[in-house]
Amino acid sequence: MTEAAADPLVLEDVALTLPSAAGPVEILRGLNVQVASGERVALVGPSGSGKSSLIAVAAGLERPTGGRVLLFGQDLAGVDEDGRARLRRGRVSLVFQSFHLLPNMTAEENVAAPLEIARTPGATETAKAWLDRVGLSARGRHYPHQLSGGEQQRVALARALASRPALLFADEPTGNLDAANATHVAELMFDLVAETGAALVLVTHDESLARRADRTVRLRDGRVAQESSTAA
Amino acid sequence: MMPLSLRFASRELRGGVRGFRIFLACLALGVAAIAAAGSTAEAFRRGLASQASEILGGDLALSIRQRQFDPAERAALEAAGRVSYSVASMAMAEAPSGERRLIELRGVSDGYPLAGKVTLQGGGALQDAIAPVAGVAGAVVEQPLLDRLHLKVGDQFLAGNLPLVVRGVLMDEPDRLSRGFALGPRVIANIGAVEKGGFLAPGLPFGETARVALRPGAPLEAAKAHLRTELGGIVRIRDREDAAPGIHRLIDQLEYFLGFIGLASLVAGGLGVFGAVSAYLEARKPVIATLKALGAEGQLVRDIYLIQIGLLAVLGVAIGLTIGAAAPLVLGAIVKNSLPIPALFAVYPGPLLKAAGFGLLSAAAFSLAPLGRARSTPPASLFRSDLSGTLTIGPEIVSAVLAAAGLAAMAVATAPTKLAAVIMIVGVAVSFGLLWLLGWGAAWVAGKARGRARGPLRIGLANLAGPHSAARTASPAIGLGVALLGAVVLIQSALLNQVAEVAPRTAPALVFTDIPADRTVQFDAAVARAFGQPLTQKNYLREPFVTGRITRVRGEPVVAERIARQDRWAYDSDISMSAIGPKPEDPGILDGRWWSADYAGPPLVALDVDVAKGKDVKVGDEITLSVLGRDIDARVAVLRKVDFGGFGASFPLVVTPSAVEGANLRQVAIAKASRKQEAAVIHELGRDFPTVNVISVREQLEAATDLFDRLALAIRGAAAVAALAGLLVLAGAIAARARARTREAATLKVLGASRVQILSAYVLEYGAVGLIAGAAGVALGYAAAWPVVVKVFHAKWSMDWAGVAALLAAASLVAGVGGLLAAFQALSKRPAPALRAE
Repeated sequence: MTEAAADPLVLEDVALTLPSAAGPVEILRGLNVQVASGERVALVGPSGSGKSSLIAVAAGLERPTGGRVLLFGQDLAGVDEDGRARLRRGRVSLVFQSFHLLPNMTAEENVAAPLEIARTPGATETAKAWLDRVGLSARGRHYPHQLSGGEQQRVALARALASRPALLFADEPTGNLDAANATHVAELMFDLVAETGAALVLVTHDESLARRADRTVRLRDGRVAQESSTAA
Repeated sequence: MMPLSLRFASRELRGGVRGFRIFLACLALGVAAIAAAGSTAEAFRRGLASQASEILGGDLALSIRQRQFDPAERAALEAAGRVSYSVASMAMAEAPSGERRLIELRGVSDGYPLAGKVTLQGGGALQDAIAPVAGVAGAVVEQPLLDRLHLKVGDQFLAGNLPLVVRGVLMDEPDRLSRGFALGPRVIANIGAVEKGGFLAPGLPFGETARVALRPGAPLEAAKAHLRTELGGIVRIRDREDAAPGIHRLIDQLEYFLGFIGLASLVAGGLGVFGAVSAYLEARKPVIATLKALGAEGQLVRDIYLIQIGLLAVLGVAIGLTIGAAAPLVLGAIVKNSLPIPALFAVYPGPLLKAAGFGLLSAAAFSLAPLGRARSTPPASLFRSDLSGTLTIGPEIVSAVLAAAGLAAMAVATAPTKLAAVIMIVGVAVSFGLLWLLGWGAAWVAGKARGRARGPLRIGLANLAGPHSAARTASPAIGLGVALLGAVVLIQSALLNQVAEVAPRTAPALVFTDIPADRTVQFDAAVARAFGQPLTQKNYLREPFVTGRITRVRGEPVVAERIARQDRWAYDSDISMSAIGPKPEDPGILDGRWWSADYAGPPLVALDVDVAKGKDVKVGDEITLSVLGRDIDARVAVLRKVDFGGFGASFPLVVTPSAVEGANLRQVAIAKASRKQEAAVIHELGRDFPTVNVISVREQLEAATDLFDRLALAIRGAAAVAALAGLLVLAGAIAARARARTREAATLKVLGASRVQILSAYVLEYGAVGLIAGAAGVALGYAAAWPVVVKVFHAKWSMDWAGVAALLAAASLVAGVGGLLAAFQALSKRPAPALRAE
């Protein structure tokens, strides 16, 4: 399969076992998940079912201990950490529950950071435009600690989407927000994903949020317990 | 456009340098110590150079011993420029009250001084003061002589048999530094008067120095070479470029010693640097992982933090350089007038550059390795906070090792004595390694022991065994500081004990010189009378004495320049010798056999091994001695180890009496005496033997003890800098864990622990760190001090238990107090907010 035509993400029989003081812990046990271009997939399941670990493995942040991960058709097995970082540039973005904004950079610099890393021209202008899109044009020079939780997550969304990625991983993006902010951020995320055409892999405990995805994958004990199409 | 790494680094630095205070302090402390030592030494060197002619008393100084320059030599000297002559001898000064003491008597010619100025109390010119008045020669004397003999200006006294009138109090002479140590107060009179006093008779131990002020524009080296040819090799020639070689060596050694302490502080503080960088990178782990998740490669992330650490290192070095450059300026301004050596205090770039080099290399050696973690921190740590970068052999570790090697190479390259520098550096490196291993060992033992403990002890042991144990981070640094301080304390106390306790027991109390050979029986009787007891071999020893020089070894002329510098002393100037028939008691023979008491064959010689070393002289070798103007060919019969501090025939060279037969050698004697007997004999000899000099060894030892005491504080103060570096590392370790400690204390409180229990746990933990580090430091200090005392100074080893106990107590106490402060800080926070912050 050529890269251009490949699905953004394919997980084949992926396993992840981590060492611990009490012995090895099996986190993922033979997962098979496929995400098509522009598809929105929700990962749901109880705590410890392996949702976040799946994102870490799928985004190339963690190496699986078994199976294959194909990002845009490329098997990550033979790619070192720097190679995986290069592969993510401009194509894969992440949004986290605890935002993970760079604390010593302003909102604008945070949004520009991935563009700068990818040496994309006009990073600052693009960042300003995206801050405007998430309704924070007036907060561009503010540091993360000067922003509310909802504002921080909107900056994180702008940062994730500024490079117009083909695949966005969102790990409980509304988990640390109050109801009003959670709704606002969720609306924004789905709108922008639809606008950019990015595929979305969304980890959530929130069933109503999951229902907005095209498909829901339920995990239990590191395995896919159920898959269902949810889109209206 | 600014490179990406620099741009991101500058953004990261917006967070401030709060977490880097210990990093900056550790670097600044070591750099400041090295810079201050170098700047002070340079100030003295420049001061000496600026007054080179004054220190020498002219452009050239030519010295001979036991005779004066003859007319032909004077003509050659005076053809080179203006000349002043001075003679120096020891003499006994006697007040009209009968009080006597040894003085250093100088006679100077009319032209003296050619350069500089003799300073007399209340002003006045030297030549006026020493001119004869009413037939009695004038003299200027140092204040201690007036105090000792209860004299005042205008009073008359005797120097030997020579009457002199005190005409002024001598404050300073321009050429004092170039002449070195004096056995008694200095007295200056006219050269003619000194000659008249009989001090310049052939065979007496006096010397004459001619100081030459060359004609303007005359080349120094050419004039020196010309005079060397004209006057022959027996004359010692110094020039203004090398006016006070001993002082220069002293400055070099002192600079290196103080600089070495600075270097050791950099090494001890290196753990603080390492700890600060590690703690910083640990705190930045989410940022590092985020950057990687955003697509940054490991190298970019490493560079972002490398730039930050580099900038902070430059800041730390700059702070150190500022303090190191300013400290001598401030200190110089305060003590300038009481300094014994001329000094020009200023900001000198050379020493500062050297200190900066040491600082930057040490920063690189200790911070590059943890920086490797920035490159290797996995982005997955965003999901699993327990993940950290691992230290693997990569460019950072290789660079750190290269920087450490560069640091060692620079320390050796800038040292005056390379071998000593290598030994010291290897010593520090090995000590550091041992202390580090000990820290790990202590943590392991604490881990094993905690299962058997209960309560606060268990908490303390658990912390000691934990991943952030201060035993591993702070104890090597504290231990190194204590080791340095311990070595200095132990060396000083052992040497002080040698001077104050051992030497007075074993060494003679008195040395008598210039005993007329034809009145030895009367002299012995006079001493016995004064002592009020018969003289025995145990308390009195008299031998012939002469000085001479070894001119040929195994038929080859001696060329002093070809002999190792440390052994040259025995070949480039006269050494003392005696002529003894019967084998002395405890002669210390290492090879060969002493001759029979009545031996009358060809000349034989017994040589001290330290003299023999310079030319690798063995038993059976032929050597030629130049004694009293004649050459004596002698065969080496004995090699021996002379105990110069003991009571015996302490001559580096002894010949058979037949070798100097016919020469009417003056005699020297040594005696053991009580303070009362000493006063009595000095007084008694004044009547019948006014020209015999009595050197009070006790007085010299007391002066040395006094000097030691004064130096002790300064040197211990300098060594304390290294201990301070250890404390900084401890403070860093405490600060790095402050937040975690607060949470821990809050959790313990929730679990029902009382404040006393929490305080006890922390004091136990840190007190143990101090005790372990202190004990190891003292042991290492002992290992460093013992060979210095016994092998270098040839002194008897004595252990300063009080000093050791004080060091141990101080190390545990200071560390325990650190633990107490950490506990107070942790307990000062209310548990609920601390736990919510979790």
